[in-house]
Amino acid sequence: MWSFLFKRLLHMIPLLLGVSLLTFLLMAMAPGDYFTALSQNPQISPETIANLKAKFHLGQPWYVQYFYWLKNILHGEFGYSMAYKIPATALIFERLWNTFLLSFFAMIIAWGIAIPLGIWAAVKKDSWADRGCSLVAFVGLSVPDVLLALLALWFAAATGWFPVGGAQSPIHDLLTPMQQFWDCAYHLILPALVLAAADLAGIMRRMRSCLLDTLRAEYVTAARARGLGEGWVIYKHALRNAINPLLTIFGYSLAALLSGAFIVENIMAWPGLGRLTIEAFFAKDSYLVVDCVVMATALLVVGNFIADLMLAWSDPRIRLK
Amino acid sequence: MALLEIKNLKMDFGAGADALRAVDGVSLTIGASETVCLVGESGCGKSVTALSIARLVATPPANYVGGEILLNGQDTLKMSNGELQKIRGGVVSYVFQDPGASLNPVFRIGNQIKESLKLHRPLTRPSATLSPAGGEGRGEGVRVLKNVITDYDTEVIRLLKLVGIPAPESRIRNYPFEMSGGMQQRVMIAMALASEPKLLVADEPTTALDVTIQAQILDLLSELKRRLGMAILLITHNLGIVGDMADRVAVMYAGQIVELSPARELLRRPLHPYTKALINSVPKLAGGASRLSAIPGNVPRIGNFPPGCRFAPRCPIAKPECSEKIPELLEVEPGRFVRCPFWK
Repeated sequence: MWSFLFKRLLHMIPLLLGVSLLTFLLMAMAPGDYFTALSQNPQISPETIANLKAKFHLGQPWYVQYFYWLKNILHGEFGYSMAYKIPATALIFERLWNTFLLSFFAMIIAWGIAIPLGIWAAVKKDSWADRGCSLVAFVGLSVPDVLLALLALWFAAATGWFPVGGAQSPIHDLLTPMQQFWDCAYHLILPALVLAAADLAGIMRRMRSCLLDTLRAEYVTAARARGLGEGWVIYKHALRNAINPLLTIFGYSLAALLSGAFIVENIMAWPGLGRLTIEAFFAKDSYLVVDCVVMATALLVVGNFIADLMLAWSDPRIRLK
Repeated sequence: MALLEIKNLKMDFGAGADALRAVDGVSLTIGASETVCLVGESGCGKSVTALSIARLVATPPANYVGGEILLNGQDTLKMSNGELQKIRGGVVSYVFQDPGASLNPVFRIGNQIKESLKLHRPLTRPSATLSPAGGEGRGEGVRVLKNVITDYDTEVIRLLKLVGIPAPESRIRNYPFEMSGGMQQRVMIAMALASEPKLLVADEPTTALDVTIQAQILDLLSELKRRLGMAILLITHNLGIVGDMADRVAVMYAGQIVELSPARELLRRPLHPYTKALINSVPKLAGGASRLSAIPGNVPRIGNFPPGCRFAPRCPIAKPECSEKIPELLEVEPGRFVRCPFWK
């Protein structure tokens, strides 16, 4: 078991190397760099630009740049953001925290609503409750993230009940810790809801179908035949088996939340990793782009890793392999 | 009073115009410590009849339209959910066809057996004074006095030993997938016995097992029955095991019992043409290289039963009047019932 987990962690290294290398290559193939735009500016002398380029190794081939970047990583540094003019490490971790916050709460909302609803729909199969849930899920699956985010923005602007962007108020630093907490929650709620809505429908439908499958299983009839109460049969015997496939999709769901977060972050002006990546990409802030992509990959792999751990915890047949 | 008395049970799948009659007027009694075999082809209604005893068929789609099932004198068709939960396991236990599918894969077998114990035989602390036995079971037909246990683990180990599982002390912590099919079925039987039922319903308990294991499981069932004195309803499509196990046999065809008879007499001298055909189609080792005799035609589909005698289209002795009226199940000799006027 532990050696398996260790192996899984080791597998992350070549994956992250490959992803960073590919990103570097793609960035290098795109014409121009961060200073191309600056060189149009008559106030900046060509010497200054040449000096800066040399400082960031931009004049050298991409693989040399890659090795400089890799050397920094091994020293625990993510290089330097040319656009923000600060070390990328601080920038990345601040944004990563924001994205994590958003994704985490979106996930809690999505799973917290979807799982009970899915169970309810399965237990009350073919009732008005089940049909109502199906209808909501159908709408949820059909409406794209982009539209939902725009609608949420319009709602926030029209009612004034929610902020139209950002993660904090301008006066955030002046508030007491308790007020800061509520300020964060207030800014978080709308983007988290939008992000959760996209995932909710799918999880709910899957929970429903998984539970319906296990409710048909012979061990459920056998449990009933032993005289167990219906609640015990559903929540102990059926549900413990029905959640296994959901744990598997938990990892994918984390990834989906991160990629979904790209869109929501950009539309709703949430200062997360997704928005940073896109900004860095347009500014050709190449080291920052690679950092962001590597971070997103790492989160994805960690998400799958967590899903594997949970699956092993839940299903003894997997634990022993 | 018989332990189980099924009277004219009628059950449909679906309701109204789409209703399909799966069980049509089945009557069957099982006495205490009696073994009855219910024999028939797939889809003839034998499993749903057996599941109906503890009302384990979901309603809907199933729909009981007539008859009664008296278990210890009480009609299970009229019971509340609470009463049903008491008799499930408490009076009637089930062993199903595929032990691999009937055991929950994610719980240890000890845990699953304990579940039955906790439910039907709650722990009696050694210090607690026992109420006099006369107080139990009086007035309430479903309550049955159980042997007292003081420790679940010890009792689980005793049960596993009883069904012949080696090294039960370590097996108790096994998951179902760590055991062979035969061992799994023994666990299922231990689980069924945990609640000390009066009636054990074994629904094709050996169909999913190897032939050698089949014999072991059947031997185990016979031995347990002898030691514990419970009644067994054994459902099978295999006439070969009837002679070794059963006191009486009921043969079902298309939702109806067509012959009901003491086992030995039925095997020696079957009366109904369907029973005769079934016995003839069991391959024999002796008797040369004659072709395997099969019953011509197919089992009629539920909802598509022929008029009159349902076996008539496949029957070698069918007469024109057979297709006009469903024959009655009549006692033609003492203890022998046949649903065919031309049995002679």
